[in-house]
Formats: sequence, structure tokens, C-alpha cells
Amino acid sequence: MRIGEKLAQTAAILSLAAFASTAVADEFVVGSNLPLTGPQARWGQEVAEGFKLATEAFNRGSAKHKIKLIVTDDEGNPAKASAAAEKMISDGAVALYGGFPTPAVVGAANVATKAGLVYMSSGYGGTKADFKNFFQINAISGYQKAIAGTMLDMGAKSVSLIHNTKEGSAYVATAVAKALTDKGVKVTMHPYDSAIADFKPIINKIKLQDRPELISMVGYESEYIGMLRAAKVLKPEVKAIVCAYGVATPKMMADFPAELQNVYGTTMLSYPAEFATKDGKEFAEAFKKTFNKDPDYLAQFGYVSGQVLFEAIARAANAGTIAKGGIAAEMRKTDRETITGRVTFDETGFNPHFVLRMGQIQGNKIPLIWPKEAATGKMNFPGLPW
Amino acid sequence: MFDLILQATYSGLLSGGSYALIALGLALVFGTMRVINLAHGEFVLLAAYIAYTVESQMGWNPLLALPISVVVVCITAAIVYLLVTRLDKNREMNSLILTFGLGVILTNLVLFIWKADIHSTSVGWFQEAVVLGPLYSMRSELLFFITSVVMVAILWVWLDKSWYGRAVRAVSSNRDAAKLMGINPHVTELISFLIAGILASFSGVALYCASVIQPALGNALTIKAFIITILAGIGSIPGVLIGAVLLGVSEALTITLLSSALQELTGMLLLLFVLLALPNGLFGRAGRRG
Amino acid sequence: MKIRFLLPVLAVVYLAIPYLWGGNNYVMSLLVAAFIIAGVALAWALLANLGGMVSFGHSAFFGVGAYLSALLCINYRLPVLAGILMGGIGAAVASIAMLPALRLRGPYFALAVLAYANIFKILAMEFKGITEGAAGVTNIPALPTVMGFDFSSKLGTYLVIVTIVLLFTGSYHLIRVSHYGAALKAMHDSEDATRVVGVNSTLLKAMMLFVSAFMTGVVGAVNAHYINFIDPDYAFDLGWTLLPMVAVVFGGYRTLMGPLVGAVGIFMLDQLVFKALIGTGHQIMLGAVLAVMVLFSPDGLVPLIGDKWKRIRRAQA
Repeated sequence: MRIGEKLAQTAAILSLAAFASTAVADEFVVGSNLPLTGPQARWGQEVAEGFKLATEAFNRGSAKHKIKLIVTDDEGNPAKASAAAEKMISDGAVALYGGFPTPAVVGAANVATKAGLVYMSSGYGGTKADFKNFFQINAISGYQKAIAGTMLDMGAKSVSLIHNTKEGSAYVATAVAKALTDKGVKVTMHPYDSAIADFKPIINKIKLQDRPELISMVGYESEYIGMLRAAKVLKPEVKAIVCAYGVATPKMMADFPAELQNVYGTTMLSYPAEFATKDGKEFAEAFKKTFNKDPDYLAQFGYVSGQVLFEAIARAANAGTIAKGGIAAEMRKTDRETITGRVTFDETGFNPHFVLRMGQIQGNKIPLIWPKEAATGKMNFPGLPW
Repeated sequence: MFDLILQATYSGLLSGGSYALIALGLALVFGTMRVINLAHGEFVLLAAYIAYTVESQMGWNPLLALPISVVVVCITAAIVYLLVTRLDKNREMNSLILTFGLGVILTNLVLFIWKADIHSTSVGWFQEAVVLGPLYSMRSELLFFITSVVMVAILWVWLDKSWYGRAVRAVSSNRDAAKLMGINPHVTELISFLIAGILASFSGVALYCASVIQPALGNALTIKAFIITILAGIGSIPGVLIGAVLLGVSEALTITLLSSALQELTGMLLLLFVLLALPNGLFGRAGRRG
Repeated sequence: MKIRFLLPVLAVVYLAIPYLWGGNNYVMSLLVAAFIIAGVALAWALLANLGGMVSFGHSAFFGVGAYLSALLCINYRLPVLAGILMGGIGAAVASIAMLPALRLRGPYFALAVLAYANIFKILAMEFKGITEGAAGVTNIPALPTVMGFDFSSKLGTYLVIVTIVLLFTGSYHLIRVSHYGAALKAMHDSEDATRVVGVNSTLLKAMMLFVSAFMTGVVGAVNAHYINFIDPDYAFDLGWTLLPMVAVVFGGYRTLMGPLVGAVGIFMLDQLVFKALIGTGHQIMLGAVLAVMVLFSPDGLVPLIGDKWKRIRRAQA
């Protein structure tokens, strides 16, 4: 072939290629390591659903950029989380999300940090995360603000705080206790081991020795039910029972209506979900359609984390800075209203605006009753399940 | 303070009773065959989930699930037994591993079928309080305890008086001599497995009524049953009840007098103390020879 | 183990694997995790075979080794390798607490050790001042860089753990062929007879416990420096006893390479095959493997393969 023809051919191919790349959207791989099996399976599956929904919503709304999601089961195990992260990075992930409980997050985050990638999580249970480019929307401080805040608003002078000794629960409980004692409230702590079967001895101690105005509890679902049943039998003279996460959910209310009446718990959405924003309505409808059930707070974390991450990736792609740590830089610039409230990230990577809301189970509804700005209903106070 | 201790002792007594029923099946099989069925907790779990299905799908009172769960659990128990008898070498160790593997399979089957959510009965009758003076309990706990005591008594009498019961004891103490006496050890051992299945069914249904179930529970139940079986020692049925109550009361008193975080520690220390002081458990006979 | 197998094994481990997959961090991660299990499996098999004791509480040694090494390196700035050694020694010292349990038979011993493991876990939770309690220990120093080679990389950690496991295997072999091994074997056949001859069976059993604890502690420490984070639930998790047990059953109870082959085999099988086939609930395959192995080949995989290999060679001759 002669030079001229060759040049023409090359030019044709090049221009075709250029045309093709602008017509087809950029695809970015995002990896997610979550506990889809094992004891944390419920946590992982809910979060995965929210995150997946965010992927679909983003891809629908973006013509230029598409997110390709890889989800790997890390079984909640740090070694497997670390391996999962390695695999997804070698498959081209530009950012990673996931991990629960904390050791698994550490395993994967270490790998991401070494590779210079952004690591986002919803499951880190400590206060400091010494990783570069680590981001988490739900700071533990948010739980404490909501729980302690509600109890202070109730005007309680004495509280008995029951909590599981596992890290996440223990930390929140200690933070809540401190917030309360700083304001002069008397707090008695009752830590318990997960192996507990019968809460009556603890409730009895509270009833006969502490005699508080409020009972508060931070633990896991089956333990809440156990405690509430024991309380219904012993009937301590308190004014309200304030719990933490996993209680004020539609599912718990449907499964255990008798035990949960008038009980308070942390939540992001009221039930039936009343969304003020378009964002929120979209989320709830899409979730219901895709998964045939109502979203709970874990799905919300997954969803919002996805939104924030993908938007940062898109911005970095537009600015052409992805290869130069652009995603991290864009994440730090995040300032967005979401269905979980306002999201920005401070130097530690946590969201300082994160405040959970408190809902109370009233009948077969869960209105939000704290903070006042987000309230959709009034507190039934004093009020007990019996 | 006295009120606290009294209630704690009472609560411990009741939970000990429930532990005993759960442990009884494991103890029986251990006594008869020197086999520790690590899938026992999963038998109980299976029965509990059947009770859940009966209540949620058919709207019946979960107690009516008993006949169904007895059938299902006994079939499962028979299958486990048949597999265990296929082991010829080093039965003590290998049966441990085999039943553990079967337990893992069962837990995962439960996970497949019923997912990971927690469940408990919504029949309010079970949670109603029963107040005896200064002592409080739930109806379901009392029911569980009474069932447990009754079962222990029935089993004890059966082992002592009935033909098959005595055959079980014979096989347990000297298998070869029992054969010479005309007892078919295979049939006897199968019977003890089936009885373990029946006991597990009762425990499972009671568990569903009294507390909250989830798939991960299988493992925890097996360990608890194992601890109580060893605590009681081989060959003693009432020992199971006494050992279980001892455990329950110690746990409750630890929570009340010390810290509730140390409940697990009590069980472990109690176990170690008993084992080191009485290597054959509280009431066990010395290991058989040969 | 035949000497002629030694060279090929070393070649595969030190040359072939790093050459083929050294750059693939994913495969390396899996191998590191598999060899950590292999290390504990070896220690467990040693106790079961030579000591005649089945333990359900090896997670105790694993956790003690991890915590000791982590805390010494953080609080006293001990070099990581020294910390790992101390972790092993600490685990051996911790096993002294278990000496009274040595006179218990079979399942009683197994359960007693399980109780110890749980107690250690609870102690780690409660003594917050020393162990940070449930929050765990973070920022554990990683393996060092020696002579320019970064041992905290995936390949580096692999080399470290593989070397440790091979050293342990060698020690196991040496004990077996030594007169201690002969005494232990005799003890299995008849403890009474050996006592009569003057063998201090309790002392021998105790020594095996120390060795097994030491090995497990070392491996636990290496894992802590690899993950850089431990908390009581993770360090003392029951899985650190169960998975090695499955590995030993799978690979072979009585052979030297059995635990190793079993651990790597079952781990890779689980992560690469089962997970891909089943997804949620893939652990059911582990249970099935366990049941099938015990029923049809209780001596494990290695002897099975060994027999087949022998038959093939005999047919060829």
C-alpha cells in the first residue's frame, strides 16, 4: 500500500475511534466488599440493595458516565475482605465501598489505601480511621446525638443504660452516657454479653436498685425483644424506653407489634415514609419496586453512599483528574442534601452533619419525633409497651 | 437486695430447666453411644422454625406444631444415626466431625429456607406474666420448665422400668454383653436417637414460644447442651437437670451480684471447676473399659 | 515424609508460586490466608496425633499470640519479628493454665479447652486498660522491610508465613522420629504400659501442648501484623479452631503434609469454587465435604492420593 493511502486509512480509523469514544459513555468500575453470608449477612444484604439501587439510579440519570458495579462477598472476615479488595482493584476498580464489621473494613481499607484509592464505608465502628481517603457518612457520633438528645428533651434526671459489650454498641452507649452525665443526668450502665438468654435479672436490678426515669438500650434485635418482654413481665416504673438502631423499623414493628408500642429507636425515615423531597420519594418508590419491601436505614446508607461516591467519580472524570487522586479530592468537596441529611466530610473522613433521627412506634406507624426540625409527629410521652 | 437474689434464683431455675430440655437429647445419645451429636442444636432449631412456619403460614397456635416437628426432626435424627453407624474407625472422634459437618449443612439449609431474620411467637398468651408473690416469670418460661421436668422424669422412669429403656442402659454400659443377652444394639441406639429427636422437638417449639430464634442459634444451643452434658457426666439423667439448673442459677446470680457482662464467664468457670475437681462430671460413672 | 518430596515442594513454594502469581495480589491474599490456617492446622494435628488430645480451643493460643505481639510492638516498640516470637512464647505460657485439663479424656478435654478459649476472649474484652476491650487494637505495625525487600507486601507476607509453616512441618517431623515421638506412639497404644516402663506421659503430653500452643501463637501473631487490626471477637473467633480442624480432616489426619494440603486445598476450593457456585450459604459445602470425607476416607485426602499414586507406580513397574 502506498503512503498516502496508508495515511488516509490511519486517519479514518483514528477519527472513527474518536467518534466512538465520545458516543459511548465512560465506564467506571466500582468494587464493593460486603458480608453477604455469615453472621452479618442481613447487614450486608440490605446495604448492598441500597448501593445497587444507587448504581441504577445514577446510570439512568447520567449519559456521559456509567458505573459498573462489582459486589464481592467478604463474609465479614478481614482476610477475605482484603482478598476481595485486591481482586476488585485488579479488575479495574477506581474506588471501593463496603465492609462490616470493623475488622473487615480495616482489611479492605488497608488494601485500598496502599493502592491509592478512595475507600468508602458504612460499617466502621470506631471514631478514628487512620486511612488516607477514607469516607463514611454515618458517624457514630450521630447515633449518640440522637439518643442522648431525645432523652435530654424528655427532661429525664436518671437513666439506666443497657448495652451489648460488642464494640459498636459499647461505643455508642459510652458516648450517650457521657453526653447525659455532662448535663447532670444520673446514668447507670448495664453491659451484657451476647450470650445472654434472660433479661429479667438485669431489668429487676434496674427496677429495684436504679429506679430510673428512663431505660435506654443499645444492642441487637433479638436482644431488644428479649429485654422488652422481660420488662413487660416485671413492669419497672419508668416513663419511656429509648433504644438505638434496628428497632424503629417497619419489619420489627410488623413482627413484634405487642412488644414495641411506644418504644423509641433511631431511624432515618418515618413509616409510612413521608418524603419531603423528590429525591426521597424516588428512592422509596424505586426500592419498593425493585425489592418488593420497604427500605430500612441500612439500605438508605448504601444508597446515599452510592450517590455521593458516583457523583464524585463523575466530577473527577469531567475534570480529567481520576488518575491523579481526583475522586478523593471531589469527595472532600461534597456538600449535598440527601435523604439522610446534609453530607460533607471532615479531615477524618466522617460526616460531621450526620444526625440520626428518632422515631417512636405508635400503633402501626413510626413517626419521627426528634429532632424537632425533622419531626413528623408528636412524642407519646410518657408511654410504655404495657 | 434479697428480692433481687430471690428473683435471680427463680429466673435461673427456669432458664436452667429450659437448658436441661435442650441438653437432654444430646446427653441421652452420648450416654448410649458415646457419640456427641454436634448437630443436636440444629434439631432444636429445625423444630423451632417449623413452629414458626405453622404459626405464620397457617395461623395456628405454635404448640400444634409439635406433631409435625416430631416427625420431621425424628426423620432427620434417623438419617444422622444411619450416617454415624457407617463410621467404623475411631468412632468417638470421627462422629464428632461427622455430626459437626451435618450440623453445618442443617444450619445452612435453615438459612436457605427461612432467611436470616429473627422470629418469635406473637401469641400474646405466652408472654403474659405469672406472678407468684415476689417472683415474676412469663407463662412460656414456666411452661418450658414444667415440660422439662416432666420429660426428665418420664425419661428416667422409662430407662429404669421399660424393656427398651433397660436395653439402652445395657448397651451403654457394655455393648458386647448386651448383644449376648439378645439385645440388638443397633435398634437400641436408633431408639435413643429418635428419643433425642422427640426431646429436641419439644425444646424447639418451646424455644420459639419463649424466646427469639435465628439461624445462628443452632451452634450456640449445641455448645450449651454439650457443656451441660459434660457437666452432668455420663449416665445420669437427673444430673442433666441439676447441672442445667446449677448453670442457670449461677449465670443469673452473676448478673445480679457482679456484672451482666460476665454471664458467659460464669458458665465457663463453672465447667472448668467441675471438670477439674470431678473429671467425670457431677454425677458421671467412670468411663467404661474396653 | 520422603526426602525426595522435599525438593519439589520447596521448588513449588518458593519458586513456582511466586513466579506465577507473585504479582497477582488477589491470589497472594488467598494464599496468605490459606497458609495461616495451614499453620494452625499443623499445630492442631500435632497435638491430636502426638499428644493424643483433640482441642476445641486453639483459638485461645491464636488470640493470645496476636494480642501479645500487637501490644508489645505498639507499647514497647519491640521489632515485629521479636514480637511474633514473644507471641508464640506467650501462647505457650498461657497453655500452662490448661495443664490441669490434661488428665481429662477425649471430649472432656476438648470442652475444657473450649472453656479456656472463651475465658481468654472475655478477659480480652474486660481488661480494657490493657487490650482496649471491644474497640480492639488498631495500627498494629506491619512486617518489616529487610534488605530492601518489603515483607509487608502480599508476596512478602506469603514468604514469611510459608517459611514458618515449613519450619513447623520440619519440627513436627523431627519430633515424630525422635525418641520423644517413639515414646508418644507407645503411649497411644497403652498409656499404662508406658508408665510402667518409666515414661512420664504427663510431661510428654504437656510438652506437646506447649509446642502446639507456641506454633499457633506465632501464626496468630503473624496474622495480627498482616491485618493490622484485632479485636476480641476476631482474635479469639471459634473459626480459628474449626477451619484448621476441617483442613486436617480433609487433608489427612496422620500424615505430615496432610494438614498443609488440606488447609490450602479446602480454603482455595471454598473461595474459588464453592463461593462461585452457590453464593450465600456456600458454607454448606464445607459441611458436606467434612461429612463425605469422614464417611468415605477418614484418613483424609493425602493418604488417598498417596495410595492411588502407589498403585499407578506399581502398575507401571
